[in-house]
Amino acid sequence: MNVVDKARVKPAAKLLSGNNACALGAVAAGCRFFAGYPITPSSEIAERLVTLLPQAGGVFIQMEDEISAMAAVVGASMGGAKAMTATSGPGFSLKQENIGYAAGAEIPCVIVNVMRGGPSTGMPTRPSQADVMQTRFGSHGDYPMIVLAPASVREIYSETIRAFDLAETCRTPVILLYDQVIAQSSETVALEPPTTPRAERKWATGPREEFKPFAVGPDGIPAMAKPGAGYRVHTTGLTHSETGFPSQDPETVNRNLGRLFSKLERHREQIDSWEAVQCDDADVVIVAIGISSRAARRAVEICRASGVRAGLFRPITLWPFPEAPLCAATKNARAVLVPELSIGQLRLEVERLLGRDKVEGLHQFSGEPITPAQIAARATALASEA
Amino acid sequence: MSGSKLASVEAGEASAAPAPIARKTPFNVLIVGVGGQGVIMVSKVLAALAQWRGFEVKQSEVHGMAKRGGSVFSHVRFGERVWSPTIAKGEADVLIALEWAEGLRWLPYLKPATGIFICDTKRIVPPFACLNRKPGAPMRYSRETAEQVANYVAEGYAIDATTMAEELGNERAANVVLLGALSTALDFPIADWESTVSEFVPKKTIAVNLEAFRLGRTWIAEARSPAPATGTPPLLPLAEVPFTPRLEINAAWCKSCDICVKMCPERCLRLNDDRIAELANPEKCTGCRLCEWLCPDFAIRVHLEAQGKAAEEAAR
Amino acid sequence: MFTDAPNFDVRDYLRLEMMPHFLCPGCGHGIALRALLWALHDLAIDKDKLAIVSGIGCAGRLSAYIDANTFHTTHGRPLAFATGLALARPDLHVVVISGDGDCLAIGGNHLIHACRRNLKLTCLMLNNEIYGMTGGQVSPTTAETRLTTTTPLGNNEPSFDACALASAAGAGFVGREVTRHVPKLKELMKAGLEHPGFAFIEVLTDCTEVYGRKNELGSSPEMIMRQKSDMRPSAYRNTVDTPFHPTSLPTGILMQNDRPEYGAAYRRAAALAAAKGAKK
Repeated sequence: MNVVDKARVKPAAKLLSGNNACALGAVAAGCRFFAGYPITPSSEIAERLVTLLPQAGGVFIQMEDEISAMAAVVGASMGGAKAMTATSGPGFSLKQENIGYAAGAEIPCVIVNVMRGGPSTGMPTRPSQADVMQTRFGSHGDYPMIVLAPASVREIYSETIRAFDLAETCRTPVILLYDQVIAQSSETVALEPPTTPRAERKWATGPREEFKPFAVGPDGIPAMAKPGAGYRVHTTGLTHSETGFPSQDPETVNRNLGRLFSKLERHREQIDSWEAVQCDDADVVIVAIGISSRAARRAVEICRASGVRAGLFRPITLWPFPEAPLCAATKNARAVLVPELSIGQLRLEVERLLGRDKVEGLHQFSGEPITPAQIAARATALASEA
Repeated sequence: MSGSKLASVEAGEASAAPAPIARKTPFNVLIVGVGGQGVIMVSKVLAALAQWRGFEVKQSEVHGMAKRGGSVFSHVRFGERVWSPTIAKGEADVLIALEWAEGLRWLPYLKPATGIFICDTKRIVPPFACLNRKPGAPMRYSRETAEQVANYVAEGYAIDATTMAEELGNERAANVVLLGALSTALDFPIADWESTVSEFVPKKTIAVNLEAFRLGRTWIAEARSPAPATGTPPLLPLAEVPFTPRLEINAAWCKSCDICVKMCPERCLRLNDDRIAELANPEKCTGCRLCEWLCPDFAIRVHLEAQGKAAEEAAR
Repeated sequence: MFTDAPNFDVRDYLRLEMMPHFLCPGCGHGIALRALLWALHDLAIDKDKLAIVSGIGCAGRLSAYIDANTFHTTHGRPLAFATGLALARPDLHVVVISGDGDCLAIGGNHLIHACRRNLKLTCLMLNNEIYGMTGGQVSPTTAETRLTTTTPLGNNEPSFDACALASAAGAGFVGREVTRHVPKLKELMKAGLEHPGFAFIEVLTDCTEVYGRKNELGSSPEMIMRQKSDMRPSAYRNTVDTPFHPTSLPTGILMQNDRPEYGAAYRRAAALAAAKGAKK
């Protein structure tokens, strides 16, 4: 048995799994409602929050299915609570309708999707990165979405907090997307509780007669009427006018859906987050998220050691995609390599921005993570080809 | 507590102990009321007690109208030998009524010369007594006063048993108040009465029922004493509210569904040329609100206006 | 029962700017809505503290007409939305308005679990035996042999007895009434609204335009009159052994018990857990 000298370990350092960090981050962010349904590999989040939330004065409930868990989260948020659910592939598919409702009715909430192998039941205990497109386009119709893709336990904690802040600031659902490997592996981390104040929802003030639940407003984000505050407004999944009541008037629909997208565009500075490692002089830039980005980071070191100028670009905010930073980071690169645990989803977005000639994919959907050696070999080959 | 003695009884008779019952001829008690009041319970107590006292007992009843407001009666006959299970007209020694009009309905069954009439002043108006829905229309409920009834019976008591029971805290014990009143007409020992009552009422209510029993018994004793009776029973006049109904119809919301026209009990609505509901026969409207309630479009509102005010407005 | 009728003006509880509503002429849903608003009036429930959560379909659209905090959610899910809302905001009075398809077909799972969980919610299921909004398809409560656009040869599936289902699933309060008897319906809704746990109330309403026409059931008044003869106002003694006759449904309060309410029980346990956590 190893004897650990406690004095030498940082007092706040803990051995934590990604899912546990997510639960802790949620409570630190002010989450006071969780509804979920058991599913591998995300259940640990629920199992942690079932004790944390009551202690913080919140509510935990296990619902009868994935659909109702999402619905209950939206319901709780409509009542004013910061609310979250967590799921994985099949459950995420089931939640799509109500995620669309939250987007359309502008109800803040956080959805954690721990990616596992698919399609269908797939490989519940194996990692995957094949939900990249579903997180963006999973529900029907046009709607914007914020998706954050942390790559480490520490980052899961901080991105969970950011997810709640963005949800409340932008009045929108936010998806936290990571894969089975970082969800269930533990790392020693010293979690630093946030020092800045948390973002709070903009609540309606002023006289009821003048209040319009979906008025355009200066930043495109309408103030929300808290039930019980006397505004007695209507919330619907139908397209609606500024009054909140259903409308199919083309001009009104245009105005409201347009605002739905523009409200995120106006907050891109807060939303965007990425990491560029040694991209400036890189011949080959590797674009990756989650566990693949960690292999890529090592691959960059391997390449650089052998004289190959490689770099890493890692979107932390996956959607809306950090287009300009990617373009800047790959400006000098002759080739771009996208290693991912899917048949090619992130690659599609990178191709869209950089063109198909420059972009190459490294795809693995066997249920095993891609190794640094695989990426380094491919990057080295690309560097010599170019 | 209120009620009145319906017919005077000689003071000497009243203070005497109840006359011994002729065992040869059966003693006939008729108990009547409305479903749900506890008629059967009264008759069961009496029948069980009589049987326990060694009499042959016959009991005949109509029941099953519980809570439906139907007329319920029970014949109890006991003596050395009893043949017929029912009491013929003019043969009842005691008529116990739990409801005023029901009591009057059965009066012909009392022995004209000696029959004792004990009647609750409780009034339960049956639906068919309100067939005329016009505002202020008279109800077809009995209009006889206690004084008028007194002329028909040898000995009678109008007892407000329901209020007495209510004051004890359990309205449902009204029948036991009447049982107490009945006990004064028989020479069974009071202890036997009380033990039989305790047997037949729910355990939790034994105390309140025994109290009700004693109250009924005392009330009769007091009414029999020469002191003046406690006044006329509170037979309230049946409501005659002077108002005029007025219909407010919102044409913009009416969808011509015809529900109000067809469902109005007085058929006083119609659809006009624009297929909008309108009140065609205001004089027939009773203000029953059925049209307001059944309008799926919230287009009708019934206002009941005091008659004087309505007349004033009409004059303007 | 009726003496307060003059004081109740339904317009005090409607969003007048939304009227007239979009329901077809003679649709019983409007009558059911009146009964609900009357019951809320009788109980003096504060409109600001009232949350109406509805699903999709003709019944789902009713929430928009009520002057309260109203939420028109997704198909079949109003009970799930309401569960989250009621747990997060125990100070609100949450009423769910659902239809037969919404509540029993796509939302059937949520119904049985809401019954079992016994969280304080009042669920009104307006049963018109049809998917009216989509043009008249067969629903879980359509009577056998009835014609609908998806059963052109007559429905050959037996219909659901929603109240028996709710009772068996453990609902604390189960009742059924027809729109024909508005004051009785109002009283039933009052009892349901006052029940401390989950209350399920089925309201039998008529769909004249879609269901009635196709099955030659007559005009709205005729359909309403038929409700009177089709129903059996009696106590529903045994939910399992009583054979189910769609034309002889029992009405009134069919089940009422005092099982512990979920939300209060949760808050008690959570307070204990919080106190323990604080001690550590």
